[in-house]
Amino acid sequence: MRDILRHIDRNGERWLLLVFYSFIVMAISIEVVRRFVLMYSSVWGEETARYAFIYLVWIGASAAVRERAHIRIDVITHFLPPKGVALIYIFGDVATAILACLAIYWSIDPVLVSYKFGNVTDGLRIIRVWFLVAVPLGFSMMMVRLIQSIYRDIGDLRAGRPVFTGNKLFD
Amino acid sequence: MNRLYGIPEASTELGWDIGLPLILALVLFALAVPIWVSLGFAAIGLLVMTDVLPLTLFGESLFSGIDTFALIAIPLFILTGDVLVRSGLSGKLLDVAEATMGSLRSGFGTSTVLGCGFFACISGSDAAGAAAVGRITYSRLVESGYPRPYAAALVAAGSCTGILIPPSIAYIIIGLVLGISASTLFLAAAVPGVMIMVSIMLTNVVLNRIHGYERSDLRFNFKRWLRAVWDGKFALMVPFIILGGIYSGIFTPTEAAAVAVVTTMLIGLIQGTLKLEDFPKMLESSAKVNGVIVPIIGFALPLAQALAALEVPQTFVQSITHVTDDPTLIILMMLGIFIIAGCIMETTPNIVILSPIMLPLAQEIGMNEIHFCIFMVTSLGVGFITPPLGLNLFVMSGLTGETVLAIARRAVPFVVSMLIVVLLLAFVPALSTWAL
Repeated sequence: MRDILRHIDRNGERWLLLVFYSFIVMAISIEVVRRFVLMYSSVWGEETARYAFIYLVWIGASAAVRERAHIRIDVITHFLPPKGVALIYIFGDVATAILACLAIYWSIDPVLVSYKFGNVTDGLRIIRVWFLVAVPLGFSMMMVRLIQSIYRDIGDLRAGRPVFTGNKLFD
Repeated sequence: MNRLYGIPEASTELGWDIGLPLILALVLFALAVPIWVSLGFAAIGLLVMTDVLPLTLFGESLFSGIDTFALIAIPLFILTGDVLVRSGLSGKLLDVAEATMGSLRSGFGTSTVLGCGFFACISGSDAAGAAAVGRITYSRLVESGYPRPYAAALVAAGSCTGILIPPSIAYIIIGLVLGISASTLFLAAAVPGVMIMVSIMLTNVVLNRIHGYERSDLRFNFKRWLRAVWDGKFALMVPFIILGGIYSGIFTPTEAAAVAVVTTMLIGLIQGTLKLEDFPKMLESSAKVNGVIVPIIGFALPLAQALAALEVPQTFVQSITHVTDDPTLIILMMLGIFIIAGCIMETTPNIVILSPIMLPLAQEIGMNEIHFCIFMVTSLGVGFITPPLGLNLFVMSGLTGETVLAIARRAVPFVVSMLIVVLLLAFVPALSTWAL
């Protein structure tokens, strides 16, 4: 059980991102080929690619929180002692967590409404809930990452270690 | 709305209920809170204080705001850039650039900028270009005689073409916000983008003359050039597929981006420079870049919608035209705003928030909306090499170990030359609209 949890912790976003990213590339390429060779477009190609993109965005945002890769104006950290830098990062994470909670709260509403009325998508006529849930799901994953990150930073702050300032986006 | 009734006054005052949320955003920016989080709080603050739109709009727009086929081009162009680098095709492009321009006195410097331009024709983002070209050329630029911070500044400036030469993520976003087709914008942006590239090359030539950094003794050799082109034939084919496909109307930008990803991957696999086990890493890092850029759009959109519903753009136009209606002054003022915005903010939120506010002003002085888009994106492009938040400066600083400020100081002449081009573009609409 522990191993499974650790595996999810390390690779959770990665697997989902791989699936959705590959799906987008394949769906759109197939659509292009289909249009040239078979002279017709499918109903599902564009639609599913769009929904996969929304999953990709919010899960990717969660992965970026884990790596502390989100763009911020970090001029202030150059003028602060290490403890101050740690506090700034913790503050940023707490602010992100508050916004993530609000985002979960407000984005669950459309999911519930859609579930209640059994809304279906325009093209495939699948229940829309499967796609609307991408937003609260992404932000929930982000909450987990934020809690982990705040916990780690407070530990670093207490032990006087320099805080994790993020991996470079472009290595 | 007001025009219908012939009332010149706007219905809203720019009061504290609008000002406070925006100030909150600026404070959060300064406290190093991620940009999308700051924008999110500003949007919520604005909705709560003014009651102009329901708060549920906020949750809804995180889904429906980005539920657009055009936006899918963003992860695809990011991935193309990544594949180009990992498959070694970017090196081939640089070889062609060098065989073309290497015989100039400032041979390698000019080739580097041309290489950035080639890269820009395939990839739609720009920091990726800086990282890709910088990694290959930096040490050779230094060997050729350029001082280290200058070499970094040259690559940083050359990579500004990433979002200025089509395909470009910036034009996709501004097209989405203002409702203009990205293909049209790509067509309009071709000449302005190349002009920026040439201006950076010329600046380097002039600076090289003055300081005598590099003295290339290569002779132009047609055979060598042909060989470089032949070696790079697959890499050179990709921009033709992308731009040719978009310009002729065969592909939408999103489809072109998907085709570009698949073509570059296939070339890499066939040439053996790319292995299947490289794929997960590539996809993961591109997905993260995407997860950094698109949430900014997702949260900036409701903010822009709220500002529009409060008629802030109209109020803004009126308060400006009260002061002056001289087109020259207004253009210069817009340029000033774009430059300042480009200095303190990232391109994406600038486009989403500022373009709906500034477009009415531009139209008021008779600027065509496509001309406006080119003017705005090019002005913002300068912000990539101005401190404190010049993304390319950061990328090059991370890559070379030079400080951001040292690179920024050497980038000043490039900023000036880009500004000259921007002014030309602003006052000569034909440069952007000739193709339409």
